[in-house]
Amino acid sequence: MIEFDGLGKAYGELWAVRGLSLRVPRGEVYALLGANGAGKTTALRCLATLIAPTEGTARIEGFDARTQPLEVRRRLGFLAASMGLYARLTARELLRYFANLNGIEGAAAEARVEDAVGRFGLETFADRLCGKLSTGQRQRVSIARAVVHDPPALVLDEPTLGLDVLSGEAIYRFVEDARDRDRAVLFSTHQMSEVELLADRVGVLAGGRLAAEGTVDQIVAATGEPNLARAFLRIVKEAA
Amino acid sequence: MNWRIVRRVVAKELRETVRDRRTLVMMLVVPTLLYPAMMILAQQIALVGQRRLGERPASVAVAGGDSALSAFLRADTALRIAPADSATVAAVRARTVEAAVVAAPAADSAGTQGVRVFFDPSNDRSRRAQEMVSDRLDAWGDTLLARRLGGAGLPASFARPLAVADSSVATAEEAGAYTLARFLPFLLIVMTLLGAFYPAIDLAAGEKERGTLETLLTAPVPPGEIVAGKFAAVALIGLLAAAANLASMMLTFQSGLFQFARGGNVRFSLPWSSALLVLAGLVPLAVLFAALFLGIAVRSQSFKEAQNALTPVQLAATLPLLVISLPGIEFNAAMAAIPVLGLAMAFRELMGGTATPVPTAVAFATTIGYAGLALYFAARAFGREDVLFGSGSGVAAKVPWRERLRGWRRGGRRVPFPTEALLFLVVVSLLYFHLGSRLQAIHGERGLLASQWLLMGGAAVAFATLGPFDARRTLGLRRPSARALAGALLIALGGLPIGWAIGWLQMQSGVFRIPPELFGALEKLVTAQSAERFAWLLLVTAVTPAICEELVFRGVLLQSFSREMTAVRAIGGTALLFGVLHLSGETAIRLLPTAFLGVLMGFVVWRTRSIFASMLMHFVNNGMAVVIVSAPALRKVVFSEAGEPSWALVAVAPLALAAGAWLLPRRAAASDEAVEMNR
Repeated sequence: MIEFDGLGKAYGELWAVRGLSLRVPRGEVYALLGANGAGKTTALRCLATLIAPTEGTARIEGFDARTQPLEVRRRLGFLAASMGLYARLTARELLRYFANLNGIEGAAAEARVEDAVGRFGLETFADRLCGKLSTGQRQRVSIARAVVHDPPALVLDEPTLGLDVLSGEAIYRFVEDARDRDRAVLFSTHQMSEVELLADRVGVLAGGRLAAEGTVDQIVAATGEPNLARAFLRIVKEAA
Repeated sequence: MNWRIVRRVVAKELRETVRDRRTLVMMLVVPTLLYPAMMILAQQIALVGQRRLGERPASVAVAGGDSALSAFLRADTALRIAPADSATVAAVRARTVEAAVVAAPAADSAGTQGVRVFFDPSNDRSRRAQEMVSDRLDAWGDTLLARRLGGAGLPASFARPLAVADSSVATAEEAGAYTLARFLPFLLIVMTLLGAFYPAIDLAAGEKERGTLETLLTAPVPPGEIVAGKFAAVALIGLLAAAANLASMMLTFQSGLFQFARGGNVRFSLPWSSALLVLAGLVPLAVLFAALFLGIAVRSQSFKEAQNALTPVQLAATLPLLVISLPGIEFNAAMAAIPVLGLAMAFRELMGGTATPVPTAVAFATTIGYAGLALYFAARAFGREDVLFGSGSGVAAKVPWRERLRGWRRGGRRVPFPTEALLFLVVVSLLYFHLGSRLQAIHGERGLLASQWLLMGGAAVAFATLGPFDARRTLGLRRPSARALAGALLIALGGLPIGWAIGWLQMQSGVFRIPPELFGALEKLVTAQSAERFAWLLLVTAVTPAICEELVFRGVLLQSFSREMTAVRAIGGTALLFGVLHLSGETAIRLLPTAFLGVLMGFVVWRTRSIFASMLMHFVNNGMAVVIVSAPALRKVVFSEAGEPSWALVAVAPLALAAGAWLLPRRAAASDEAVEMNR
């Protein structure tokens, strides 16, 4: 379970996010939709314990990101658009490193690494340096890295940014698979097609606040617009 | 601390580093292969050059003198005697001949014959020809002398009452150690620094740039373990580079490949005990560099930005090391406490076999202390989200240049960016030190007055009003309350005795020595014998700097720093620059007291936002010097005969500082300021 309760983050006078409350139970995929600067990344970074909220709480499985950051990180798989791969480690070394950082050692770590290699189809390039891999291959290694410790919650910050359709498909399959495995998935995007394809529920962030929430159909119906893209534009304009 | 995690991080960082060609080259290839190879090659080239010089006879023209001298020189196969008409300055300058010998007519049997040798010292061949000819002429002189003595029935020893011979008592090892100690510490420290340089950037700014730091920090590992791991890896790499360099240098020297060492009873060796102590000293040094570089690099947004930020640090750490090769620099406890240089001098003493325990211990202990501080500095950066995920300290990252240029064109009114203010300071400093010093040299006190008003105060006003700036805010021209001025005055008065105490303690440390004649000249300069002179001195040394220097430092500089930096950095940075720009050859002692005054004035302006408050302080500080020097009765109250400040005044000074701080207004919240700044 992922929870935000009145979350707010201010940079000086400017509130990047304020009063954000939402819940993502296990087995659900939740999309945070918003324009650039709407506060998506800030909210996800608060949840990932990378930055501290100014007010309110962000929790994973009941653990508070501010007061119990290590417990939160143990239960979190985080994936950003930058992929975050070490260019001079092989895919296998990278997975082993992150397994170790998550407290998985020795034979258990090797088993997790091999499981991830098999599950995400890394066999042919698992011993090549990450810096030499193609974009699609790096995306798959990045996903494997995020889940090598089998976390119950997944946070994906614009995971398909800069990817072509084929590379993006790996992400789609991964998200659907996570839902099937009863994981809570929260991802940020401004791609309407992704939301329509993957999300069970959607939250629209505008000016740092949650301006609308519901299923895609509910949001489209509430605005009276023909599709999600138009509904999104209307919500953002009304919130401005 | 979870050491298992630290070990994992270290192992991963080392693995990545080993795969990084650039670091590997700096760490191992340069010291172990290229460096000794280059030294040997350079020596070989020099030897070949010398040999070639020696193979060809020197072309020398001889004019005047008797035929015996000419015959003596002609008999030497190392010389080729050119026609006498080439024995001219023009021929030597035109390189037709390498040297010209012009002899006066031969003297009688008891006289002295003048012989002049013309040569061109900018030409290697000519220099060599001059040396050869001078040797031959000396020999010819000895021959003539022997003939004269023989003719007079005197023994050859008659003209040589003393036979002086130098004899070195140093063993070959000691002579070698002396030579090593002159340059090896420099090399070791530079190699440690270079070894840590690229890994520190790569492991901090590089990670940020590639987005891996974000991923790493979402792993369930406390930041302390990550910092410790990264820092240990960088320190280890720096240390390995130094150790590889040390070993490689020793092997190269001991191999006997250096011919000058073989010929000149010099043997390069380093006792194991000294080598181990040097290596032990390199550990805290590597820690210091690793932590310092990491702390700075993590505050940068990209590899390039970190490189730019670290280059001045690198220069600042290495340039003072040139001191160790100078003769006569005494290694005492005060020198030992200077960061990096102190340890380099300790290495010099250890390698030369002349180490004394106290300064050596001070050098080791202070380096450990500095390393601890640097580590704290690095760890703090890793714990700060604004450094890791904000826009960091890079000004360029906050506002793109294009946007800034647009703002300039539109003439938007704002406070300058720190980079703009620093550029202004560079221009003002150059003008002041080059043009201003000429004005002062020609016109004395009037020149000083002119340079202050024109090149400092006037320049600051011109910068603030002619640029796209809000002049009032750029210069801090805000009217202070009476209470704030009272607070500033108290702080200025409280700061005076502390400033004197800092100066006095520096003098006692033995590091700074002011020549008595300079002291006397300064005293004479600010001693007023008449009321008119007193008023003039106040104008020149107190009123003028109070206005002009404050417009530059607490005005343009502090106001611009304040828009981007925390109070500590803005005030500290301004104060440091204020101190540094008051330096001159003989008055290095002024750095700390001036920087201290800068901190006080910066603090007051930060709180009051009014430059008038610091102008008052500056006036009081400088004016008091004139008053005290001119009034012997008052001087006796505050200083002893020996110039020691009154410790009673120093003791009550903090009370004045506290009372002054209490009177100052509280500064508005940062957010309000941000709004004001961005308007």
